[in-house]
Amino acid sequence: MIQFESVTKKYPSGHLALDNISLKIESGEFVFIVGSSGAGKSTLLKLITREISPTTGRILINSEDIFKIPKSKIPILRRRIGTVFQDFKLLLTRTVFENVAMPLEVLSKNSSEIEKAVSGTLEKVGMLDKANNFPLQLAGGEIQRTSIARAIIAKPEVLLADEPTGDLDPKNSQGVVELLEKINKEDKTTVIMATHNAQIVNHFKKRVVTLESGKIVNDQKEGKYETG
Amino acid sequence: MKQAKDALKLIRRSPYQALAAALAMSLTFFVSSIFILLIIGGQIVLNYIEQRPQVIAFFKDDTNESRILEISKEVESSGLTKEVKYVSKEEALAIYKERNKDEPLLLESVTADFLPASIDISVNRAQDIDEITKLVKDKPEVERIITPENLIEQLVKWTRTIRIGGIAFVSTLTGVSFLIIIMVVGMRIALRRDEISIMSLVGATRWYIARPFFIEGALYGLIGASIAVFLTFSLLLFYSPNIQEFLGPIQIFPVPPLFFLYLWLGEVAAAIVIGVLGAAIALYRYLKIR
Repeated sequence: MIQFESVTKKYPSGHLALDNISLKIESGEFVFIVGSSGAGKSTLLKLITREISPTTGRILINSEDIFKIPKSKIPILRRRIGTVFQDFKLLLTRTVFENVAMPLEVLSKNSSEIEKAVSGTLEKVGMLDKANNFPLQLAGGEIQRTSIARAIIAKPEVLLADEPTGDLDPKNSQGVVELLEKINKEDKTTVIMATHNAQIVNHFKKRVVTLESGKIVNDQKEGKYETG
Repeated sequence: MKQAKDALKLIRRSPYQALAAALAMSLTFFVSSIFILLIIGGQIVLNYIEQRPQVIAFFKDDTNESRILEISKEVESSGLTKEVKYVSKEEALAIYKERNKDEPLLLESVTADFLPASIDISVNRAQDIDEITKLVKDKPEVERIITPENLIEQLVKWTRTIRIGGIAFVSTLTGVSFLIIIMVVGMRIALRRDEISIMSLVGATRWYIARPFFIEGALYGLIGASIAVFLTFSLLLFYSPNIQEFLGPIQIFPVPPLFFLYLWLGEVAAAIVIGVLGAAIALYRYLKIR
């Protein structure tokens, strides 16, 4: 379970990204965080991975305040969280296989373990036949599937997706979210997806948390994203 | 093993920077080796000269042997000498003949009467030469005194200058190598910024991320110091006949192979410390992992 308790984040520039928000996400949930650009969606995700720290308030994962974890233990926290980015963040000089293998290399797994896990994960995201391709040889949807494969290979408890469909056409966008839904259902992974794609949000009928100027203005099960 | 491969990959990606770093290390340690050899060589020369008689007092022809032995005893009783050796006219002739055995012209018609008797005095400490010289100089029987005092002083001065100059020069070069390592590793970190941020996000520890850079720094040290010792060894081998000829009776060669092993081990250890420390500073300065 992830819990935000009265969290405020003000950047040094003075921009108030999150304004006293409280939020509880149960294990195994699929949640859309929606809102226009600058509403605070990415800030919320970055707080979960401890890329940034809150100005005030607490963030708990399974009742543990993640900002009380010593710096040296941050990598262990991050191994429990997979992240998918809008700009994919794949290494262009590495093949699909090598990109996906990275979280396991970090864990110093041996090559046969890596081989087996990468093949299984690539099969799950439908990218096994492209294992030896480089990112520049892939289409947008394929790149994002690779990125998802990298995020889930170490079997994280939580999968964060920051605008994963931002650079994709509607068909590929739907395919990517279907994949996230499959991971959520099959692996019981908590999925938190930040997006401003109303069409996608409204199609999947999941919990929707709407942010506006850093405040939660709506939190609905099987909610909708009203952009009007 | 994987980390070493990663470090080699880093080096292959920009070989010119790697070459610059390794060459800077080589230069530093080559110059260090030369200074080390100069200092050790100077010390050997100094020891050799200090072990030779440092004061030789020649006696007038009419001085009889018992008087010379009396003076010898007096010098010995000063407590400043290591050895006082009486060299009679006959012994002087034998030494003369031995030294000039290849030049018969110089041996012709030379008899013991031509050569003066002498006492060869070795002192315990170089600074006592003055006092001993004064002691024998006052004797009316002494005709002439030879002392290499100035030579020793000069040598001591030179070895000290070489030592100080060497330390200053090597320190400067070490500083330059250090800066080059920081710059090269810093550039590598900048080039791998994306990779590092992704690694950090997927749970890599700081040590996991930093390790290839440390290995890279250590490799520059290892390669640089090895090149330097190899160069020094080759040069010394090549010039050893000339150096030995210049030094005359002072035996320096052959240099024991163990000396080069110790030199290599010492320099590699120092170079690795410089490489790793340079990498550590670059990592501290440029690796901003949140």
